[in-house]
Amino acid sequence: MIEIRFHGRGGQGAVTASRIIAIAAYEEGQYSQAIPMYGTERRGAPLTAFVRIDDQRVRERELVHNPDISVVLDPLIAKQQAVVDNLKAGGLVLLNTQDEPEDVKLGGDFKVATVDATTIALETLGRPITNTAILGAFAKVTGLIKVESIEKALKKTFPGRLGEMNIAAVKRSYEEVKGPVQATVKEAPEVKADIHVGGYGVLKDVSSWRVFTPEIDEDKCIGCKNCWIFCPETAIEWNEETKKPSIRYNACKGCGVCANECPVNAIEMVRVEA
Amino acid sequence: MSYEVMVGNKAAATAVKLAKVQVASAFPITPQTTITQYLSEMHANAEWDFDFVNVEGELSSQVVVQVASRVGARTFTCTSGPGLLYMHHPMQTTGSGRLPVVMAVVHRGYKGMQPDHSDLMSQQWTGWSHWYVEHAQEVLDSILMAYKVAEDPRVRIPVAVGYDGYVLSYTAEPVEIPDQALVDEWLPPNKPIPSILPDEVDPETFSRGWGGGDPQMPWKIHHEAILGIEDVLKETMDSFEKTFGRRYGNGMIEPYMMEDADCAIIAMGTIAGTCKAAVEKMQKEGKKVGLIKLRSFIPFPEKDLTEWAKKLDGIAVVDRSICPGKGGPVYGKLKSVLYEMEDKPKMLQFHAGLGGKEVRTHDFEMIGDKILKAAKGEKVDPVTWV
Repeated sequence: MIEIRFHGRGGQGAVTASRIIAIAAYEEGQYSQAIPMYGTERRGAPLTAFVRIDDQRVRERELVHNPDISVVLDPLIAKQQAVVDNLKAGGLVLLNTQDEPEDVKLGGDFKVATVDATTIALETLGRPITNTAILGAFAKVTGLIKVESIEKALKKTFPGRLGEMNIAAVKRSYEEVKGPVQATVKEAPEVKADIHVGGYGVLKDVSSWRVFTPEIDEDKCIGCKNCWIFCPETAIEWNEETKKPSIRYNACKGCGVCANECPVNAIEMVRVEA
Repeated sequence: MSYEVMVGNKAAATAVKLAKVQVASAFPITPQTTITQYLSEMHANAEWDFDFVNVEGELSSQVVVQVASRVGARTFTCTSGPGLLYMHHPMQTTGSGRLPVVMAVVHRGYKGMQPDHSDLMSQQWTGWSHWYVEHAQEVLDSILMAYKVAEDPRVRIPVAVGYDGYVLSYTAEPVEIPDQALVDEWLPPNKPIPSILPDEVDPETFSRGWGGGDPQMPWKIHHEAILGIEDVLKETMDSFEKTFGRRYGNGMIEPYMMEDADCAIIAMGTIAGTCKAAVEKMQKEGKKVGLIKLRSFIPFPEKDLTEWAKKLDGIAVVDRSICPGKGGPVYGKLKSVLYEMEDKPKMLQFHAGLGGKEVRTHDFEMIGDKILKAAKGEKVDPVTWV
């Protein structure tokens, strides 16, 4: 039995990716099971999903605790040592990052493959939904499932034009994935962040959720307060003296509502360097 | 026959479609919600001719299917946790009315949203038959069987098919979808009983009163009718296998690797699947522990479990619900069933999976080790919180 763990954020499609792998495996005559770990996740919150592939009906219904493969859909989560936590010795981690596999700082006994799925998704789908943009890479570096089976599963899940766009993303990631190579860092650094638990609220730092960061151009700003009114996280503060807004970045999850509401385009959404 | 990788809730909605339910009504509640979404979609696409009644709450959804069933329709509803509690009052009337409603209960706990069996267990007095199932294929198959049993003229009892939220409702796995023609032949349309008016004095309807006479009589008849499900369910499992090629034990219980077992673990729902993997591992190591999956809690498989108990040295009961201050319902019931037996097996109570707590393969190995020890006469705690 092969066990796979997906790390992503609500909205990136980790659950859909896990189901597509399960469908594709079944297309090839394997049994499969895709378990999402649901809590009260929302768009942007870190979440986990699991897949088992076996040659008989999968009976176990516990979560996957010692995966053979870890797949990370988010470039910032990909920097956390926790994504390889309890990975089987000699296992494989596939990361969405612009880094070369040799430059990845995660430590331990496993192989590393990397693909810039965010760029692929932005260029093929127009959105940073990285789930399908990593599946082609998955097919190539794991050899578990043929890329044709993933395309077949995608056509079933997304009929029509959407399916074609996603298949284009799959094909590109199949071509562009780098690795796998043995992890260059041997010693596992300490696991700092608990990325398995979704969380949200005014006390929580959500700055790691952003794919894009809003930046205010004070010269363009006319002080209309639209961004301050519309920010769903009350992450924008109003300075009554300067009559300008400022952003509390630890409360901003990068949704872009402020930039959308600004009547003079004084807020620019800048891609976070991964 | 076709296959699809689908989640548990899609398997439930697919069974509703295959059964050609005439009236469905439900109010969405996590983790049941997607059943209502699938049914709404099927209704919008006119996949078959049925009414889907949107309501403002579970009390109404139960009343809608109850009255539709009373006039002879095949009906379906579904809910979870707190929604089931809200349905409690009309469930009594559906039970008393001997109306063959089928309901999917997608387990959700009260102390948090993750699943345990507290929701359906709290409805023991409503006069329904209660089944607990393990995986998506069994969800689909059991809902079909539920109609066959509920509508049988010897039964006429509503059936609740319970399955765990999240780990089954939202988990995708391959499911075989039987051919519609085979289902049509095996499950002919519901044949309503002749007298449908609630207040009519007719021994076949027990909706309100008995029309004078002994007021206990409807309870006695209701109780005996539910006990009678055992034979009909076993018969149904046989005919289901003949038609569709799958079976789940005898319907009441599903023994797994019990052939050489000295001890049994009793479990229900999804954790029984995890227990199967544990039992395989233990038997490879020479430990003689098997699984008896309990499928029907009401009626309780008294005869089957008594027969098994005669052959066993120990039984570990895993309850995924608890009546606070009273204990695990399966353990309590089984212990009372075995009271008259000479030379009883050793019994241990395990509380597991409450509040959605994950029950892992190694937990079942611990349970297996404990019951083997207890069966040998070693001192083991009678109650364990896993």
